[in-house]
Amino acid sequence: MPDGATVLADRSPASQLNHAIDLDRAGETNRAHDLMRCLADRLPDWDEPLSRLADSLRRHGNSAATDAYRAVLALNPNREPALLALGALLIDAGAPREATIPLLRCCGLAPRDPDVWPTLGRAYTDAEQPALALAAFTRALDLAPRSITLVHQLVAAVLAAGSGMAEAARLEALSERDPLDPMPHLVRGLILDRMGLLDPAIDALEAAVALAPDAREPIRLLAAVLTRTSRAGAADAALRQALELDPRNPQLMNDHATVLMRMHRHADAAALLHEVLHRHGPYASIVCNLASATVCLGLQDEAVELARAAIALEPAAVLPRRALTNALPYQDGVTGAALLRAAQACAAVLPRGSLPFPKKAPGRDRVLTVGLLSGTLRTHPVGWLTVAGVEHLDPAAFRIICLSRAAEPGDPIAMRYQTVARSWENVAPLDDEALALRTRELGIDILIDLGGHGDAARMTACARRLAPVQIKWVGMQNHSTGLPEMDWFLTDRWETPPALESLYSERMLRMPDGYVCYSPPPHAPDVMSAPVLRNGFVTFGCFNNIAKITPRAIETWCGILHAMPGSRLVLKTHQLGDAPTAARFLESFVRFGIDASRVEMRGSSPHRLFLASYNEIDLVLDPFPYSGGLTTCEALWMGVPTVTLPGEIFASRHSASHLSNAGYPDWVARDLADYRAIALKWARDPAGLAKLREAMRTRVRMSPLCDAPRFSHALGLALRHAWTAA
Amino acid sequence: MDHTRETVDAGALMKRIEQLIDQGRPGAARPLLAAARGLTQPSSGLSVLAARLALSAGTFDNAGADLDRAVSAEPDHSGLRKCRAELRSRMGDLEGAVRDAAEAVVLDRDDTAAKALLGELLLRLGRPADAVSCLSEAVAAAPDDTVSREVLAQALTASGDMDAALETLFDGIRTVPGSGAMRNAAILLCIRRREFARAERLGEEARVDGVADASTYALKGHALSGVGRHEEAAIAYNDALKLAPGDAHIRHLATTAPSAPHDFVRTLFDGDADRFEAHIVALGYRTPGLIRRHVIEFAAAANIGPVLDLGCGTGLIALVLSDLAVGPLTGIDLSPRMLERARDKALYATLREARLPDALRDNTAMWRLILAADLMCYFGPLDEMLSAVRERLRPGGRFIFSVEELVPDHDGTIPGNGDWALGRMGRYAHAARYVASTADTLGFRCLALERETLRYEAGGPVVGLLMVLERPRDDA
Repeated sequence: MPDGATVLADRSPASQLNHAIDLDRAGETNRAHDLMRCLADRLPDWDEPLSRLADSLRRHGNSAATDAYRAVLALNPNREPALLALGALLIDAGAPREATIPLLRCCGLAPRDPDVWPTLGRAYTDAEQPALALAAFTRALDLAPRSITLVHQLVAAVLAAGSGMAEAARLEALSERDPLDPMPHLVRGLILDRMGLLDPAIDALEAAVALAPDAREPIRLLAAVLTRTSRAGAADAALRQALELDPRNPQLMNDHATVLMRMHRHADAAALLHEVLHRHGPYASIVCNLASATVCLGLQDEAVELARAAIALEPAAVLPRRALTNALPYQDGVTGAALLRAAQACAAVLPRGSLPFPKKAPGRDRVLTVGLLSGTLRTHPVGWLTVAGVEHLDPAAFRIICLSRAAEPGDPIAMRYQTVARSWENVAPLDDEALALRTRELGIDILIDLGGHGDAARMTACARRLAPVQIKWVGMQNHSTGLPEMDWFLTDRWETPPALESLYSERMLRMPDGYVCYSPPPHAPDVMSAPVLRNGFVTFGCFNNIAKITPRAIETWCGILHAMPGSRLVLKTHQLGDAPTAARFLESFVRFGIDASRVEMRGSSPHRLFLASYNEIDLVLDPFPYSGGLTTCEALWMGVPTVTLPGEIFASRHSASHLSNAGYPDWVARDLADYRAIALKWARDPAGLAKLREAMRTRVRMSPLCDAPRFSHALGLALRHAWTAA
Repeated sequence: MDHTRETVDAGALMKRIEQLIDQGRPGAARPLLAAARGLTQPSSGLSVLAARLALSAGTFDNAGADLDRAVSAEPDHSGLRKCRAELRSRMGDLEGAVRDAAEAVVLDRDDTAAKALLGELLLRLGRPADAVSCLSEAVAAAPDDTVSREVLAQALTASGDMDAALETLFDGIRTVPGSGAMRNAAILLCIRRREFARAERLGEEARVDGVADASTYALKGHALSGVGRHEEAAIAYNDALKLAPGDAHIRHLATTAPSAPHDFVRTLFDGDADRFEAHIVALGYRTPGLIRRHVIEFAAAANIGPVLDLGCGTGLIALVLSDLAVGPLTGIDLSPRMLERARDKALYATLREARLPDALRDNTAMWRLILAADLMCYFGPLDEMLSAVRERLRPGGRFIFSVEELVPDHDGTIPGNGDWALGRMGRYAHAARYVASTADTLGFRCLALERETLRYEAGGPVVGLLMVLERPRDDA
């Protein structure tokens, strides 16, 4: 092959340039570039060779491309592709302001070029000039009205410019002019969603879906918003519709699995996630989701393994560490030390951000602003176990601010919080940084976290410190958070005796009675007489989530059933509504020689009927290591005692706390043998059980477990102590 | 994006609009209605959807014109007639609404919903007997329509047949045991008949059957107070409060429940009667209860009478005083409809339709006690009114009344002339200093001037003054 100079002599410049382009395509980059440079030197007024050279350099990621385009533009300042390319290169090089110069020139030369406006928008976005970015993206979307990428860029610019409401209004007016166009509704929906205005966002997206029923994007986006609400049924329907149009989309399948889990259809969710993994390979996030579905099916060991596999896939990611922290408390034999290690490892990977930590504002005795951080300040275990205690806090000493999501209208517990709180902040749309800024603005003195490492919780934000004093209380409070920024752990002497303190990273804030205050529901049915008196046999029950029911618990229960011929066991919880899950569970009893007719599996029911089912139960067998929490309180309210076996970890000691607090410490077992002995002693004493049952509701009502003023007084002292302690 | 406009089908769109309206989501339905209008010719179906949307969103004006056109085009469409009847009733045109509803009944003799609507409108128009016959037919055809049943019970009550009203509600409880509305209406009616034991039983049954809501617990609390079981009443009120924690009225009941028996009546009707009767549990309208307290004080020694209730409205004052030794009662009000409601209570010896303060001057009767709950807020300067009251009070007689207090704006400026100002809601507020000095100038002795929350409005308390003035005994 002759060299460039030789070729140069032989052919016309155009054919020589074509030859150089061919060389470049064939991978002979250096020779191609030499040839282009030669041509450029020989014909200094011709911009084409330099332009081709610049394009090639850019394709190869060569930093000389920028200067090459500058050279092209020196020859021909109106060369549009070079202006656009130089702009894009400057954005990538972190010089967005400089980029706007060639880009604006390009916009002037080619105002209908659909590529230049989005690039200009990007430049302004990076240059933190959101209003100009918004103008650029708006123009871009006029030229390419179907680009969903542009829609998202536009929405980001709208929000950055702080003009969400104005843009939403503009879009509304736009849709009035062309009522059949789904796009304005779609964009408006996305903006409103990002602003946390979920209901109008859903309405707008719903309109977009109705106007474009065969399009993938509107229904996908609607489904995504619904997935983040508590409207699981609507989310399920939307996801199904979206999957019909886009059946293999892994994100949709994963979202659908999440929604199915929320509907307690864990078996279906697990099957769907297995399918995604099979089809798309091992994504850590999907393995994590599968781990939660698996633990909820009562397969604790498998769940822990999955979480570990996810950690192996992405060791530095938060999600897999969180999955392990959340699966471990359910696993038989888990130790406090192992759980603390997992929580600390999870806490260690949480990003801290750059905001300085908030400082304590002076004043020991002043009114303290207390932030309650939780997405579940409503009819939910967190609500039932905290609201009465918060309601009676002295308003002259504490100012409550709820940091939650948009409240479900009509939820009575949410309304109780709203009544008692100074304000209710919807922090769901805020990312962690924005939330940390907001709590600083609000002047939160004490932050109480009620979400733990839960999926929808904000432990990630707590890592940035939302307040100078941070306390962990109910809400995925299964053990220490492991978070160095979590200062205190609200507990009691039964939950965390001094000997177990070393298994926590926080300091203990011990309440004089129990660490929760149960607010019994007005709709609870009356307590009926002990069923053993009517039936002639004892009925054991466990209405806990089957995630808590370990093989060892089943084995222990089978032993008790064997020792009490004729007795029965009723298990009742959401997941058992799924026939294959119920059959699998029943089989695990049959394997220990228990006749299937003695164990009854029941699915969920509305809360009042759920409580009424306790009228068929004589005594509750608590699962272990993860004991019942609210479930134990509800059983007590329905006159049914629980035999429990506390272990090392916090989650294993809930029932021990509630029973002791209500005045039934003799139901707390020392060890497995004692658990069995207590269960059998009472099972063989129907008269004793009946007597206990008759007095239980009154006794519980009068006990510290339900004594809200007493609890709140102690909580007030505890909060003040946390504030003043060095 | 991969959609094409051609995929939108007008029929599917209209179905979706209807679903969204049914789900109470006008925000999603509205743009789709605009789209449907772009896809098809105007039709009665579209007009009905538009009207329903307007009704659910509270935007009546446009829908009215649209419906008028649609009805002119299709005068025999009963759906359009029913829609317009609802719209007209919401816009205050009761006569027009009745005409449309009657037309709908004529067009379709079997249309139960039309009959129910007509019955309800007739009742509101003050024709309870006609209402009863329409609603009876509607209920007979649809026995599980609890809404019509409740309105029928109201119509029966209004026509004086409380027994039949109660029977209608009991029948409703048997037919639809899960309806909380039936239970609550029956309990309320028993309370109004002062059958507290029966009301308490009904409340307890509702609780055991699991159909009790906040109203049921609150009413059960009333009933328990009525039979002197105050501690149980307190539990019932607290249960009500758990379910309706934002309801100021229930909060008031819950916090005052376990005290003296006379608190019962004070708290029972310590709510605006209209709302109390329509929605059972009221927003906290406290003035009658506050006035009652001062009447009790005045009546401690002897029977107090005669009593004049200025601006008596629906007769709430008479209700809260009904167990006290006061009377006979005379009520004066401007509104014949209000007076009719007051007459239903059968607690006033005399009721007169008259304008104030003229009515005081035109009459020579003298009173031991004159009351005015939330009346002064309809007057700017008070000297004329107070002077007229003083002329009609016997020496030693008292005038107990409320005024809304003039408070500085958020920036500290005093609205109006500093004595009184017209507020946003068309009511006057008065400065405490102004009312006291006017009373003093006119020769009243001020026995009490208390700052109180008169009621809750838009979620916030309305602060006012409760005053007790005496015409000195030696002032003959």
